[in-house]
Amino acid sequence: MPGMNSGLNPSDPTLVAAFRSALLHQGAIALLMLAFLWLLWATARTWRPAASGGTGAGTAAAGAAEPRGRWLLRTGFGVLWIFDGILQAQPKMAGGLATQVIEPTAASSPRWVQHLVNWGGTVWSYHPVQAAAASVWIQVGIGVWLIVAVRGPWSRLAGAASVAWGLVVWVFGESFGGIFAPGLSWLTGAPGGVLFYVVAGALLALPEDVWRRPRSGRLLLAGLGAFLAGMALLQAWPGRGFWQGTVRDQAGHGHAGTLSGMVREMSATPQPHVLSALLAGFASFATRYAVGVNLVVVIALAVLGAVFLAGRPRLVRYAVWFGIVFCLADWVLVQDLGFLGGLGTDPNSMIPLILLFSAGYLTLVPEVASEMIGVNEAAEDDAEKSGDAADAQRRGRPRPEVLRGLGNTVASARARSVAAAGAVAVIVLGAAPMAAAAANRTADPILALAISGNSGRLDLPAPGFSLTDQDGRTVSLASLRGKVVLMTFLDPVCTTDCPIIAQEFKQAGQMLGAQAGLVELVAVVANPTYRSTAFTRAFDRQEGLTTVPNWRYLTGSLSQLGEVWRHYGVTVQNLPAGAMSAHNDLAVIIDPAGRIRQEMDADPGPGTSGTESSFSVLLSQYARQALRQS
Amino acid sequence: MSRRLTGAAAVLACAVLACGGLITLAGCGSHPATGTGTGPAPLTAPLSTSLVSAQGTWAVAVMGGPDAGNRFWQLFFRSAAGGRWSLVTPQGVADNGGLVAAGGGGYLVVGIRPSQKLAFSPLATSTDTGRNWTPGLLDAGLADMPGAIAVGPAGRTLALLQDGTIEAAPTAGSAAAGRWAPLATLKALAASAPGRACGLEGVTAVSFGPDENPMAAGSCARPGAAGVFTEAGGTWRSAGLALPAGGRVRVLGLTAIPGGNEALLAVSHPGGNSLFVAWRDGTRWTVSAPVAAAGVRALGFGPGGSAWLLPDRGRPETVAGAAGSAWRPLPPVPAGTQVLAPPGTGTLAAGSGGSYDALAVAGSRLTVWRLVRGAWAEVQQLTVPVQYGSSG
Repeated sequence: MPGMNSGLNPSDPTLVAAFRSALLHQGAIALLMLAFLWLLWATARTWRPAASGGTGAGTAAAGAAEPRGRWLLRTGFGVLWIFDGILQAQPKMAGGLATQVIEPTAASSPRWVQHLVNWGGTVWSYHPVQAAAASVWIQVGIGVWLIVAVRGPWSRLAGAASVAWGLVVWVFGESFGGIFAPGLSWLTGAPGGVLFYVVAGALLALPEDVWRRPRSGRLLLAGLGAFLAGMALLQAWPGRGFWQGTVRDQAGHGHAGTLSGMVREMSATPQPHVLSALLAGFASFATRYAVGVNLVVVIALAVLGAVFLAGRPRLVRYAVWFGIVFCLADWVLVQDLGFLGGLGTDPNSMIPLILLFSAGYLTLVPEVASEMIGVNEAAEDDAEKSGDAADAQRRGRPRPEVLRGLGNTVASARARSVAAAGAVAVIVLGAAPMAAAAANRTADPILALAISGNSGRLDLPAPGFSLTDQDGRTVSLASLRGKVVLMTFLDPVCTTDCPIIAQEFKQAGQMLGAQAGLVELVAVVANPTYRSTAFTRAFDRQEGLTTVPNWRYLTGSLSQLGEVWRHYGVTVQNLPAGAMSAHNDLAVIIDPAGRIRQEMDADPGPGTSGTESSFSVLLSQYARQALRQS
Repeated sequence: MSRRLTGAAAVLACAVLACGGLITLAGCGSHPATGTGTGPAPLTAPLSTSLVSAQGTWAVAVMGGPDAGNRFWQLFFRSAAGGRWSLVTPQGVADNGGLVAAGGGGYLVVGIRPSQKLAFSPLATSTDTGRNWTPGLLDAGLADMPGAIAVGPAGRTLALLQDGTIEAAPTAGSAAAGRWAPLATLKALAASAPGRACGLEGVTAVSFGPDENPMAAGSCARPGAAGVFTEAGGTWRSAGLALPAGGRVRVLGLTAIPGGNEALLAVSHPGGNSLFVAWRDGTRWTVSAPVAAAGVRALGFGPGGSAWLLPDRGRPETVAGAAGSAWRPLPPVPAGTQVLAPPGTGTLAAGSGGSYDALAVAGSRLTVWRLVRGAWAEVQQLTVPVQYGSSG
């Protein structure tokens, strides 16, 4: 998939350090924002004591407890989002998510899915640090928002936010949960764990009254029942490898069956030995008793589906307990807890599914749900209000008229609403830079810095030269005085790096916009054999450089070139046996006064579109710096 | 290179392979080739081949690792006076896209096929058996056919491009300077009278015929018709060859024979994948008996238009001598054999069907086996300093 893979090692220390730095930086900003909100709220309450006990957004249903089914979904998925956010903070996430999670997931999906996912993956790989940090803050923010916003519009909005972000993750992170790919199975997480987050978010976005009707619980369970029945049918479908412990290919070689193969693969990933041993043991068991294991799974899914569809409370109660045990068993033995091994981003589908059908049951049988949560919250509300009233008596005094409206609004908010506003601010903190990055078609220069290392600033006289450009004109460094010179060394018959570097220079020139007229893009031939202007012209045509007005590809006699190579520290050598002429990749930034300001390793690394764009950005930044210094 | 050598050296090994999945290649590095796309399948060809000149024998073998970026084409030379093989691969350019060699007019011209991010074809020309090379340029992609370059006795050079265009440079110097002019496009050739007559689908090789007239060979849709054309005064004419087999014909190779004759190797299918060699004495074609081969691993021409081929499987290795000779099975070649190198004309009479050297490759090691009294005997080993990773 073009663009998705930056080609960098996820453990690259520059990327990891930049990600950590971004998290710390944004974390500090988040704390400051929360502190500011708190101060604002406390100040407003001091100024407007009379309003502080008013009805905030969180008191919409004062007097009635939050339905327990809703409470379970809200807090459960809130905790899950926070957990997922913490997983997103893994050091290798910035450089690894696109290549180790998104790309493999999409690989088996149809081409149109791959194209769609590629867009998201490309945004990530072009801006890995912003994207990874954004994912952390968005998910933590949604989780906190769900937990603190108990009632009313704030709470329902949190559900809607969960839907929106969940869909983004489901489409771009999970390739639609693999529903368009072969091998779909409930056991392994179909139709994508995050889709359950979306469903839960949608349910939480509904008016709270919906949760007080047993019929809602019945509908939720019926929906889950139909889903499980469908999954049972899919699991029972022959020819998908679930009934076989060992599958033979056309050559007669035996391979592990679908389930046992996957479990065995999971057991080999890095994780505690106890868990890997447990998985390996189950893989062996599933290989030996494949029919039995799959039969149990099919029957269990079918029974659960049937009971949920029937919606008879007594049966549902037993089914819920059985479902919890069954899902937990699958979560441990098949899904390997979902986040272990590699770059885990969530605990997969079983915990969300448990939360969903448990919430359905609690809604179906409201009398089972105690009112403890609601009572406690009511008590908290009362305490808060009485405290507010005391504050009002103690500190109440008149305030300027112009601030009355705003002050009333802020002062009347409850602590939970303020916390919810803080959570929204955290989401915005992550989403805003990400949105800006997504709108930017060029890659973050961090990719280039990760490859080439940071270039120290220099102030050295640039060695002069006089060579011939692609059109046969003599060009000397002195003749370029007054302009910034971005200079590199290219082999015109190079098959790998040089064409990439040339494209980076070309793009850098385009990025300079109006300033491009103040910059010369200069390449010097780095091949002792294929060095005539016929080759520089052929190279220019190949790379589409013939129409770039400030592009100059210089060559000369071997002695002329040798002198330039020596002065700029470039080693050029013909290698035997059909190998390419060897030379080091170097880029030099010379200011208008003819002084070297930067010197960077121009090795383009993996040469992906992301790294190419990143180098171009870096080169254009260096050129602007040199212009400013002049 | 002497003039005497030039005349005798107008043997150039060409190989073009065909069609419909019936002929398959392995081991020699094959690539999609030029064609109109209207045929049954893209043509592919092994680039490993050998070339005999009066000075000696040239052989192209693929060496290095299994990864495409680490497979480099090597050029070896053994003088006509006997002696040992030596590595003479031109330097300064990566040749892991393929290397095509052609001799004539005192020149040996090597074309470097585009690979990776290189889109045009650097050339290298030698007049001293590969000791020194002069760089040249073909500002387009050379077709991946062993017969994609031809050099005439006076240094006129033809090049077959990836899109089926035939370009010509009037002298070796013009070729070095990158001054080429189109001689024919595939579209024009297919639309010409002989092209229409055979239903030309793709050009597979170029050569020079009698009087230094350019020749082109291709693959045709009309059953039994072998697409061989000669050009004179801007007009292309059919060389008029029909094969006895009834299936479509793919020309695998075309070579000029000293004395103004031509030889070609063709395959016809369906009908048992029959391979033929055909020789022309200026006016009349002589066609060999067919030989069945499930696939071809490598092939080439020897002195006097003799042809050799390494079948992928099925019959043992086989050669055919000059016109009138029968196919002759050779003992199974040593493992890793990529190319058979027939002796140079300096040591054996043309078309004698004498001894062969089998060049066997294992990574960066080349082992030369010589056919002596009906058995292969190891005569030389070379370790080639392959620069792994230099173009990966």
